[in-house]
Amino acid sequence: MQEKKHTTAPLRPAKVVRATRQQPLSGAANKHKTAPKRLKLLITVVERSKAELYMDLLQAYEVNMQITATASGTATSDILHLMGIEESEKRVIFSLIREDRAAAALAMLEEKFKTIKKGKGIAMTVPLTGVIGVSIYRFLSNSR
Amino acid sequence: MKYEHEMILCIVNNGFSGEVMDAARACGASGGTVLHARGTASPEAETFFKITIQPEKELVMILVPSEIKDDVLHALYQKVGLQTPGQGIAFALPVDGVVGLPSKAREENSKA
Repeated sequence: MQEKKHTTAPLRPAKVVRATRQQPLSGAANKHKTAPKRLKLLITVVERSKAELYMDLLQAYEVNMQITATASGTATSDILHLMGIEESEKRVIFSLIREDRAAAALAMLEEKFKTIKKGKGIAMTVPLTGVIGVSIYRFLSNSR
Repeated sequence: MKYEHEMILCIVNNGFSGEVMDAARACGASGGTVLHARGTASPEAETFFKITIQPEKELVMILVPSEIKDDVLHALYQKVGLQTPGQGIAFALPVDGVVGLPSKAREENSKA
């Protein structure tokens, strides 16, 4: 029996996008002349019914990928605890956002938390230290 | 780099999020968010470390001021660590921007 020949090309190693603010990337990636913008993970915890609204609001900040998960809050309130409803239904939104848009998104969220009825929540950003794949980075950072 | 806040992530067996929050509150944390999750571990690692991974997990996210981060991590290790039925692991992530914290918590943070 003849052995089947592999027709597919060998896999190319994926590129790791890595740069610091001070040192721009060298070589082919240097055509942009500036270092790629860093990404942050924006975590927003809101009432379940308001999650869609906040996701739509965040899309205006060049957020191309968002993941949500159902969650429950553990607010400390003796009265709520006595009534057995200490836990509240929440939804967590994980959004990948470019560093230069994060501050504006947080400011918008802060304002909306105050103004939207039953729209209170909490939001925080966590800096990312690495992303694998140039096209994925371009997608996540909305670099067209 | 120094951050004002840190987010503690604690992964515990299903049903132990209450113990996690009790331990965290005892150290000064105000509240947390619980997500349901499913854990995976390699069978070899399970045999080597003599632990069994219960797939149903709870992931507790607790936002704390950096000053109490170590206290909370230590408390979680003691109360819901791998040697306890909660079989929890906890770690902290730096948080460089926060909005929506209750004003009381913010005042306490500014005092600290």
